[in-house]
Amino acid sequence: MEHETLFPLLCETANGNKEAFSELYKLTSGQMYAVALKMLKRPELADEAIQDAYVKIWHNAGQYQRGKGTVFTWMLSIARYRALDLMRYHKVRNEVDLSEDTHLPVSPDESNLSDAEQKKLEACMDELEPAQRQAIHLAYINGLSHHEVESHMASPLGTIKSWIRRGLQSLQRCLSL
Amino acid sequence: MNYLTEARRNALAAEYVLGTLRGKARVRYQKLMMQYQVIAETTALWEQYLDGLNHRLPPVTPPPRVWQAIQKRINPEERTDTSGDIVAFERKRRKQWRLFSGVAAAAALMMAVLLVSMTEPVTAPVERVAIFNDTNNQPLWIIEISGDSLNVRVTGALAARTDKDYQLWMAPAGGGAPVSLGLLPKSGDITRIPPSMLLDKNVTVLAVSMEPLGGSPNGSPTDVLYHTNIFSV
Repeated sequence: MEHETLFPLLCETANGNKEAFSELYKLTSGQMYAVALKMLKRPELADEAIQDAYVKIWHNAGQYQRGKGTVFTWMLSIARYRALDLMRYHKVRNEVDLSEDTHLPVSPDESNLSDAEQKKLEACMDELEPAQRQAIHLAYINGLSHHEVESHMASPLGTIKSWIRRGLQSLQRCLSL
Repeated sequence: MNYLTEARRNALAAEYVLGTLRGKARVRYQKLMMQYQVIAETTALWEQYLDGLNHRLPPVTPPPRVWQAIQKRINPEERTDTSGDIVAFERKRRKQWRLFSGVAAAAALMMAVLLVSMTEPVTAPVERVAIFNDTNNQPLWIIEISGDSLNVRVTGALAARTDKDYQLWMAPAGGGAPVSLGLLPKSGDITRIPPSMLLDKNVTVLAVSMEPLGGSPNGSPTDVLYHTNIFSV
């Protein structure tokens, strides 16, 4: 979702404009819910995570700063952190369906492919070793801990940690170019 | 451990954003974000780096009950508008305000009579407390959270600067940048209604920063002086 569309809505939300907040919700809740549902699996917990996230956004809209990313990045981070909290609180046992493709292709209709940063991330992810890419994906998208990634990928914990650490370092190098 | 080393800072920020930094390490990192601007900035950078992965997921429309629950929570005093008609909702709110102002004077008078006649003050019990001490362990501000209110008392040990203000911050339970809870008094005490997320029992860390008069110019703490834990009582 374009920052240029969301930013004015967030500014209005900061002024207490409920209509703008409603529009912000309509434009963003599909992605917010998809992220929370992927991590938490259970719809009732995903409901709670994005309720909490939007209530926080309502109260803290004025705290947003452009220097910390786009409006949507800021909002999705709030939803992800709340989902991580709820996973721990409800002790969500996180397992991934083995048939699930952990390197989802990006659908041009549904993603932000026009965004150069998005394309660059895709290219940089593709440059990672497959195991590094999969471990990062499992942790970020599915919300798996180191131990859960270990059992999913059937490799020693030290190896998993190393894949993630080195994968993130490579990703940063690539993204910084 | 030197958290300000660039490589270390990036490694921690990346794992925090990824979600693999967990437990006490995650809580410690949240404190560091409140203490060091550079750590908060590195975290934001990693949020931007990895955000594109979120957009690989096809959107899923949340059930209508989610929006209804959000409306109810941001307008606890009003009936939830299940039709989602925000304009009507606003109109109703304004009407309620007019009605409210009409009875406010009478209510104030009644309150005055009640306050004079009450022998036992009726207040919500204090549920959580935080105390900010100076470097000599002298308490400066005492924070009490009860029901949905936040009470701050200043002790005699505070030698407040007249050319600066002091601002209160919380570390959100879910991580992310510190959230302002407003300016702290330099004397006496104040009570205010805090953001609802302070009432989340997972919020355990508060901080005080020194700011230019009027508060933080950019929404982030300028110079963190103290941080402390919130205790249940």
